[in-house]
Amino acid sequence: MIKFRNVWKIYKLDGEIEYQALKGVNLEIKEGEFVSITGPSGSGKSTLMHLIGLLDKPTKGEIFINGKNVTYLTDDQLSTLRNEFVGFVFQQFNLIPKLTVLENILLPTIYARKKLKYDPKKKALDLIKKFGLGGKEHSYPNKISGGQQQRVAILRALIMEPKLILADEPTGNLDSKTGVEIMNLLKALNEKEGITIVLVTHEADIAAYGKRMIRIKDGKITKS
Amino acid sequence: MNYIFFVVKAAIEDFRRNKTQTFLTSLGILIGVFAVVMLTALGLGLKQYINDQFAALGKSTLFVAPGKILSGGSFNATSALTSIKFDNRDLLRLKKLKEIRNISPTFFKQTTAKSERKSEDSTIFFVSEVFFDINGFKIQKGRFFDKNDINKKAKVVVLGPKIAEKLFGTIEAAIDQKVTANSVNFTVIGITESKGGGGFGGPDYDSYMFSPYTTGFIFNPTKNYSRFAIKFDESYSVSQVKEAIKKELLKRYDEDSFSIIEPGDILSAVNSIFGVLNIVLVAIASISLLVGGIGIMNIMFVTVSDKTREIGVRRAIGARKKDILIQFIIESTILSVFGGFLGLFLAFIGTVIVQKFFPAYIDTSSVILALGVSSAIGIIFGVFPAKKAADLEPVEAIRYE
Repeated sequence: MIKFRNVWKIYKLDGEIEYQALKGVNLEIKEGEFVSITGPSGSGKSTLMHLIGLLDKPTKGEIFINGKNVTYLTDDQLSTLRNEFVGFVFQQFNLIPKLTVLENILLPTIYARKKLKYDPKKKALDLIKKFGLGGKEHSYPNKISGGQQQRVAILRALIMEPKLILADEPTGNLDSKTGVEIMNLLKALNEKEGITIVLVTHEADIAAYGKRMIRIKDGKITKS
Repeated sequence: MNYIFFVVKAAIEDFRRNKTQTFLTSLGILIGVFAVVMLTALGLGLKQYINDQFAALGKSTLFVAPGKILSGGSFNATSALTSIKFDNRDLLRLKKLKEIRNISPTFFKQTTAKSERKSEDSTIFFVSEVFFDINGFKIQKGRFFDKNDINKKAKVVVLGPKIAEKLFGTIEAAIDQKVTANSVNFTVIGITESKGGGGFGGPDYDSYMFSPYTTGFIFNPTKNYSRFAIKFDESYSVSQVKEAIKKELLKRYDEDSFSIIEPGDILSAVNSIFGVLNIVLVAIASISLLVGGIGIMNIMFVTVSDKTREIGVRRAIGARKKDILIQFIIESTILSVFGGFLGLFLAFIGTVIVQKFFPAYIDTSSVILALGVSSAIGIIFGVFPAKKAADLEPVEAIRYE
């Protein structure tokens, strides 16, 4: 589903000094996989995640999604692909504070360019009920717990029915009990709904939820 | 729930949470819109008032005055000083014209009028008995002077209601009393009905005194007239009458040494003066709109950096650059239109208060203008901050702390 071919990412610092964040990465993630990407800080795992999430473009090399080369797409085309194909879950939850739970979940649908096959509001309410957030529809994010906020973030990632969920340290801001709940939720989505999950973490016990581990160090994949 | 709903709801929620900041940001636009609408209201009121004043002068009336006072709809103040003076020969010649029904010679004197109780600065108009009919005066108490009074050079005076009240307390008390002006005693024989006016360029007829022109020769030994007031026969057109008068006067004077004025001419001249004055005032007031717009731009730049992370999240879940651009332009426009509405509301209140002392009204075009201008400011001054927001790199934005 996702294929990296000799992908380099080079940052220019102060115009002169070059910093190579990724050095010729080759990678393939198949549909339905649950992959953990781990590595120490500064290893290039964030850069790798941003490239998988189509938030950034490689300096060299090519990226394919479902066999389609996405390396040279325009900004608008990438935005549409992010909207339809990827769901993001962040460490900081990143909900919009002035929108209610329901509105946050619906947010991706307002940017949808394709006609949705379902009523987004009805779907959002179903998801809220199913994921144990019933009664919180009209609460603002600062009025609910961290675990609930992360759950809202996952529902926001799910509303567009994406093929891929990209989770960046999803338990980093949660206590371990809540962290386990969130991880079990992601695991269930992978197993029951067949959604591909790419998890980025530096915690070994969290990474263990993945069925495959990709280790990255100094911009190179050391284990895959 | 569509896109616009989401953007507007998010913006309003933001403003609700930062009430003070929102209000202060809108204040510039508020003041600007208030000033522009208020000044326009005063200008319109004034114009209406002056128009009403001149309408009271009546139809088929003309004035003949020395000098080219009016040329091309504007006043020419200097020419009146260096010009000819009319005399009785002109009066007799004009009287003979078939187009003219009534003509009154006119000259006036600034004076201090004294009753037994009080003294007041006033102007005496020395006119003939037909002057009252020409200018549409009505009597409220007593009588106008007549031909007999003119022939006898009677020392009688007709007072405007304001000066009568000032000198004698009430209108009733004024009749048959004595008014002294420059050591000459006049007997009050009548009080006119109020014509309103005074103040803004219009003549203050209610504070004037009127006396036979023959009596006035005491103060005017050369027997010159400063003006003729004319009522013409309505079967002739204004231009025909003007032409006839001009032809007659050209026998004695140069073309540039006299003017034939319709009340409408004065009206359009006064209107043009107030028109220019109003434009200047509104232009000055518009500066505060500009300053308000810059204030909004400034706060929008701050908002963009406050919301960098939110922008990153929105880009990650599929917002295009265009979507972010529109979002911030809508925000700045809401801010600006909010200020515009408040300014308009205050201007409404202001107008209602001012109406007690001064003619003023708000018309639909100034409402549309105020709201149109404030939304335009929101859009124009919102573009730069919104562009900055839209051009943020998603990766940079999402990592922003």
